[in-house]
Amino acid sequence: MIELYHISKQYQEGQWALLDINLHVKKGEFWFITGPSGSGKTTLLKIIFREILPTRGQIIIDGINILRLPDHRIWRLRRSMGIVFQDFRLLFHKKVFDNVAIGLYVLGIPIKEIRRRVFNSLRLVNLHQKMWQYPSHLSYGEQQRVAIARAVVNEPQILLADEPTGNLDPELAFEIISVFKEINRQGTTVLICSHDKELIRHFGDKILFLFKGKIIGKEVQPFSRK
Amino acid sequence: MNNLWQYRVRNLFSVTIIALSFLIVGVFFSLSNNLRFLANQLSENMVVVFFLNPGISAKEQARIEEAIKASPGVARVEFVSPEQALARFRKSFPELEDILKNLSSNPFPASFEAILQKKAFLSEEALGLVEGIRALPGVEDVQFNRDWVKKMQSLSRLARAIGFFLGGILIFASFFIISNVIRLNVFARKNEIEILRLVGATNTFIRLPFLLEGLTLGVLGSAFSLALLYILIKLFPLYLGQSLGALQEFINFRYLSLFQCISLVIGSALMGLLGSLSSLSRFLKI
Repeated sequence: MIELYHISKQYQEGQWALLDINLHVKKGEFWFITGPSGSGKTTLLKIIFREILPTRGQIIIDGINILRLPDHRIWRLRRSMGIVFQDFRLLFHKKVFDNVAIGLYVLGIPIKEIRRRVFNSLRLVNLHQKMWQYPSHLSYGEQQRVAIARAVVNEPQILLADEPTGNLDPELAFEIISVFKEINRQGTTVLICSHDKELIRHFGDKILFLFKGKIIGKEVQPFSRK
Repeated sequence: MNNLWQYRVRNLFSVTIIALSFLIVGVFFSLSNNLRFLANQLSENMVVVFFLNPGISAKEQARIEEAIKASPGVARVEFVSPEQALARFRKSFPELEDILKNLSSNPFPASFEAILQKKAFLSEEALGLVEGIRALPGVEDVQFNRDWVKKMQSLSRLARAIGFFLGGILIFASFFIISNVIRLNVFARKNEIEILRLVGATNTFIRLPFLLEGLTLGVLGSAFSLALLYILIKLFPLYLGQSLGALQEFINFRYLSLFQCISLVIGSALMGLLGSLSSLSRFLKI
């Protein structure tokens, strides 16, 4: 599904954000990418959804070398992905419904179908009752769940999340990761960047450890602990 | 439309600037229309008057008449005797009757009036006719208002050129204003664009609303300018009153033709579209 070959990224001369990363993620897997701040977790995610290009290496996603995709075709890659950011990136002047539906508007889906999918997506994160509220009226955890609903509404093959539980209390963090697990059970490949050790210990069946841009370890559990 | 309403102050500002720019173009076009109309009126049924010597022989008179009739561009020829000329003068200027009473004889010479065909007036044929007949014996003088019409036509062209020049500068300025307004709108919707990119929106999907915004601003601007011009043309004579007499006709502005209106709107829409395109190509890197 996602194959990274010798990926390196250099932002400044002599400073490698990532160095020789090799990773093979199979369809339907649930991966945690962990490491301290500045270890290259976010850079790795950005390279996977082609926000930035690596300095070296190749990435194959679903059989396509995404580095060879011309800029005007990136939308094809992005439509197969859902992305959740630590800062949510919600539109505060639009209602929860529109925030979630934005990914469906771009696909030109009829409004009836959009309503159905948005409702289902919000029900998954248990926010369907707040569909017509503005994000500013929601709590921090609820805003994060809106961002997750937006990421999964078009049923992506891959779900990427960058510190989705950052700044959340442990109880809420567990709740959020449970949602990701539920999405994963439906067949979506999930990659989560997190430095929350407790969370990883509890949920992590496949873990990639990064330190100063290098892989310092991989842990693969034969069974998920849930 | 939602986006236009969301940033209504800056959009209204740009529509106003566009409207004023196009209004200036419209005013000069209207002035040009007016001068051209007057020139056309003057050149229609235009008459060249050949005044005859008082002592002209019948043979010479017949030869002159034949020569005028044979000239190309002449619709018909009329002979005006001194008595007829005097009667016309009396009719046209009744207030000068006293002067006429003091005259011992009829001062008006006989004349031939050559009524020219519509298009012949400004042609070289007309000039050839005048020069040819003037040289004939028995012709004392020729009255031909061709220069007036030519001057009026030149003025009309000048008004239009000024319109193009001033309008061009202002339209160029409007182009930059639209471009900058769209740029501000792009910046204001940076987050939205970012999210649209992440959820897989195509470039066209992201750009289209901005292009439509530019187009709408252009169309609204020109529509306002046409409305303003209409009001201006209606109000201007009321403001001036009837004090200008004969000059009134010169400043009696005429509204733009349908073709000019449509051209103005299309031009403005294109300007809006190009303004946003230039902004998008510089500030919306996708």
